Amino acid sequence: MLTLIRGSGCEVVEVDKSKVRKGMLSSLIPGLSSLSQRGLAGWLVVLGFIMVTSIVVVTAISPWVVPYNPSQINVGRPLLSPNSQFLFGTNNMGQDVFSRVLSGGGIMLEVSILSVMICLLIGVPIGLLSSYVGGIFDRFLCLIMDSIYAFPGLVLAIAIAAMLGRGVTNMAISIAVVYVPSYFRVIRSQVLSIKEMPYVEAAKAAGAKGRTVLSRYIFPNVVPSIVVVATVNFADAILTAAGLTFIGLGVPVDIPDWGWDLTNGSRLLSSGAWWVIAYPGLMIILLALGFTLMGEGLSEMANPRLRE
Amino acid sequence: MTLRTYVISRILLTIPMIFILFTMVFLVIRVLPGDPVLLHFEKQENPAAMERMRHRLGLDKPLWIQYLDYVAGIFRGDLGESMVDYSPVAQQIISAFPATLELAIFSMVIAVSIGIFFGVEASKGYGKTRDNVIRVFGIVTYAIPVFFLGMVLQMVFGLGLHWFPVESRFPHGVDLPSGLAVGGVHFSTGLYTIDSLLEGNVYKFVVTLRGLALPSLTLGLVLSGVFIRLTRSNMFETLQLDYVTAARARGLSETSVTYGYALRNAFLPVLTMMGLQFATLLGGAILTETTFSWFGLGRYIVDRISSRDYTAIQGAVVFFGIFVSFVSLVVDLLYAYLDPRIRL
Amino acid sequence: MRCLIVVAMTVLFISACMLTLQFECKSARAGFDSLLVLGTTDSVETCLDPARAYDYFGWEIIQSLGCGLVEYKAGATGSIADIDPSLATSWSVSDDGLVWTFNLRQGVHYDDGTEFNATHVKYTFDRGIGIADADGAFVGIGYDGIINNVTVSEKYVVKFYLKIPFAAFLSLMACQASYIVDPAHAPMTSVVEYTVGDARASHPMGLGPYTLTNWTRTAGRDSEIRLQANPNYWNNASGYPKTKNMIITFYANSAGLALAIKNQEIDIAFRQLGATDINDMKTNTNLKVWEGTGAVIQYLVLQEKYAPFNNTIIRRAVGAAINRTTIVDTVFLGQAQKLYSMIPIGMFGHTDAFLALGDPNYTKTTELLAPLGYNATHKLSFKLWYETSGHYLSSPEQALVLKSSLEASGVISVTLDSADWASYGTHRRNEDMEAYVMGWYPDYIDPDDYIQPFLDSSGGSWIHHNYNNSQMDKLIAWARGNTTADARSSLYSQIQNLMVQDCPMIPTFQGSAYAVTTLKIKGVYLDITQSWRHWLVYAEE
Repeated sequence: MLTLIRGSGCEVVEVDKSKVRKGMLSSLIPGLSSLSQRGLAGWLVVLGFIMVTSIVVVTAISPWVVPYNPSQINVGRPLLSPNSQFLFGTNNMGQDVFSRVLSGGGIMLEVSILSVMICLLIGVPIGLLSSYVGGIFDRFLCLIMDSIYAFPGLVLAIAIAAMLGRGVTNMAISIAVVYVPSYFRVIRSQVLSIKEMPYVEAAKAAGAKGRTVLSRYIFPNVVPSIVVVATVNFADAILTAAGLTFIGLGVPVDIPDWGWDLTNGSRLLSSGAWWVIAYPGLMIILLALGFTLMGEGLSEMANPRLRE
Repeated sequence: MTLRTYVISRILLTIPMIFILFTMVFLVIRVLPGDPVLLHFEKQENPAAMERMRHRLGLDKPLWIQYLDYVAGIFRGDLGESMVDYSPVAQQIISAFPATLELAIFSMVIAVSIGIFFGVEASKGYGKTRDNVIRVFGIVTYAIPVFFLGMVLQMVFGLGLHWFPVESRFPHGVDLPSGLAVGGVHFSTGLYTIDSLLEGNVYKFVVTLRGLALPSLTLGLVLSGVFIRLTRSNMFETLQLDYVTAARARGLSETSVTYGYALRNAFLPVLTMMGLQFATLLGGAILTETTFSWFGLGRYIVDRISSRDYTAIQGAVVFFGIFVSFVSLVVDLLYAYLDPRIRL
Repeated sequence: MRCLIVVAMTVLFISACMLTLQFECKSARAGFDSLLVLGTTDSVETCLDPARAYDYFGWEIIQSLGCGLVEYKAGATGSIADIDPSLATSWSVSDDGLVWTFNLRQGVHYDDGTEFNATHVKYTFDRGIGIADADGAFVGIGYDGIINNVTVSEKYVVKFYLKIPFAAFLSLMACQASYIVDPAHAPMTSVVEYTVGDARASHPMGLGPYTLTNWTRTAGRDSEIRLQANPNYWNNASGYPKTKNMIITFYANSAGLALAIKNQEIDIAFRQLGATDINDMKTNTNLKVWEGTGAVIQYLVLQEKYAPFNNTIIRRAVGAAINRTTIVDTVFLGQAQKLYSMIPIGMFGHTDAFLALGDPNYTKTTELLAPLGYNATHKLSFKLWYETSGHYLSSPEQALVLKSSLEASGVISVTLDSADWASYGTHRRNEDMEAYVMGWYPDYIDPDDYIQPFLDSSGGSWIHHNYNNSQMDKLIAWARGNTTADARSSLYSQIQNLMVQDCPMIPTFQGSAYAVTTLKIKGVYLDITQSWRHWLVYAEE
């Protein structure tokens, strides 16, 4: 959940000074052979990547593959349990759950990708700049970020989404706003330690400008942490998008969306129609899981501290 | 820097943070589309009545006066009147908070217990099956949407097996735990577990635990993954250190080495994490409270956002911010106290 | 070893839980003879003072704590014949319809021993009109536009002098805003609000079948209400209230309520259960589903300020393309009725006026739209709005069905948009929604309450749909003032036909009322008044 992950965003990426070196980027490029050498960590990344990609592919080709129009009502009698005609049954409006499962990931994916992009575009530069420049500017930004961070995440997301109105972009923005402090914190802790490294000092002494130092020396070393936080961000964005839809701030009801199925299905559970919520719920779990696995694996690879 | 200076400086730092938080909320909710005045007029619109309502809610004053009025109120402990039913917000928050707090505490207890137990078990064999299974378990529970897990537990254990109630914090119709009544003085915390013990009523205590079981298990499970991973990685490092090898060499049993020596040192980061997660846990309780029909602070805030109840939202956020800072401070102090490496 | 301890403790804990489950049912009931537990998802919105309360649930409780001059008999259909004496034993109206005289019941006492008389009636109405609380029904319905003054004619006779002849006056007196307060607990100039820990100080009522023994609110919502039989109730002799103690418990959502009644943790579940849950419970042999007339209606509003709905023909074309059968069957699983008039089915004056447009009649839609240039290649397109806060039942589903029904005509294309309830209201005020779904539940039981607030140019201004028809205004004013049933009936018929001509809004369905109880419960009446009469319900062993 949104509010729970932010702590782990900091925890997962602890700075191990002895492991920071130039050009760490290369260690992250997934080549299968180098991955399998990394043991479980490598497999986690591969597995997560496969999960995410398959869902993306399925959602992309869904318009051509779905047996029924996912938004059309009464394609079958309402609340049919899974059978041969409707693989996952139908919901209370007579819509085919299987078709909705195939095509419903679009919103989740859009929201999470968009929110990560916003975070990267805004959070990363702010984090880099603030921690590098330091001084009053840094302290001020820290205070603001801490305040946002102290705010219950889901509540803030709800407030912003309510303010902006419903829709994919607005959900993404609200999630991004809540998440930027996490990026800020993580980047800042990395930059603060890298700043003091001898080779950075050397570069500065040799007359390198701030911009160069930031882009050539600091940024590449911060990238692994950013990647890890980004994957966690992805997973969280999906869960928060589901949460926002639960509260009524989702997309209009004629667009297939797992979040809406979850909300709708939760009301049908008490009468025994478990399939309406089970399958979309499972898909959300798989998608979030895929990203989390990637994050776990990447984090372990970036900071391999447990060599046996 | 002495402990006293540290505490004072931390408290002083908290104040501007709360103010920034409050200002943010103050502005954000007023930008929200939707007029709290209009919400009182669902079935008709009488302009004179609407003006009177606007005045009653204090919304006809200039923005900066509304801001200062509220700030002055905070210092007095007066968080204003709800714009929905005109009840004192402070009173509503105090009635809502214990539920969220109790849920958070028990969820944390469950999360940490599961986390430490499995983290230790995993650390005993790096790379082996047990370790991998536990790691995967930690990751998977993390990815499950809280309300989904809650509903699954409700169905299985509540409706299916009838072991636990499916909703509500306390059975309807039974008198609530009343706490301690000494002479004419009545003391209750609002935390039903404590209140029922103070009252000396074991039945109510068990019933409270029963009501707490599913919600705190839901939230605790989802949270446990973080603690499993943390404990596991810290235990690895600690178990390789010299003094642990020395203890083993002295002939101490594996159990005392693990739980006696290594865990104590791996515990510190767990403590920090508890502090961090506790604050966010309070916010994350919203969906759990909704799924299990608990009337806590999370649901209160969400309800009030829907009703554009400015005073209630402001009050709840300020209260929450103060509480979170307090918890942070306590955790940091505890950390400083327990870690001999930190000398203030 | 450690594992064993953990397992043992868990087993112990679970057995303790199961044991307490047995205990619980008994201990909750212990100490109460004659007790029923009712579960609901409602909550008192502001307070229990008729001078301010204007919400369904607030009125439900006020009705158990107080009495009005008259009341509707259980199973009422809304006609004048269904009005029974309550605190007034008989009444009459002057020929010009401007003076209503009520003879009051004697020998009725408040809880402090004071005998009820005409001064208390005057006090109640002077207070309500004087406070003129912005939230309240006195302002909302406009009591001060109807009542000129209230006079104590004799000790047990009270006269109402009206400003305009108002045919629905008795219905107005039967609604909870007109319930008589206890002056000892109702200050003249201020509203009585919820007081923590003090139930008596939290409401100004008296004389009703029950007294309030406990009212607890947590986090701004009700968590428990306890009612106990009032020994001073005027109808005690007939055995009312039938159940001496009522506990009302509150649930956050319909799923919780449904589970609670299925688990038989409560005796009665009333408002709001989802349609699928109700269907499911109909097949449950341990539960009884009660069904009754609803008075809640829903309708589609069309904004006349700008295109496309500033054109009457287009409005009628859209009206002809609505498939009410799908709404009723798909969204509500048959638990609603197709509605062809703003006046609900079962109420005096109702005619199926909108059936004239068809249900649906896509040919008519195509014919009407063709001359305007709309056809299969150039469709009439507009945005349909719905609210997402659950303020109305199943708004998203309704919107989906409306969209599919309108698009089935082949010449209309609908985009859906939504907003939460607060923003929805702002959009309505700003008049920027082309078509939007709205609902209504009655204040008083009379066709006037379903016509004037919508079709009258001033009465309907709150909807902001910019509908003005002076002919309609005249008809409404006549129907309002005329006390002859026949004349009113004919007028309302004309009004409904004119409405179909102008088509400012299209009624879609009327929700039925449902309650689910355990098998031994009797005395449940779900009638057009929408009142839940606690004092009639009892358990038969």
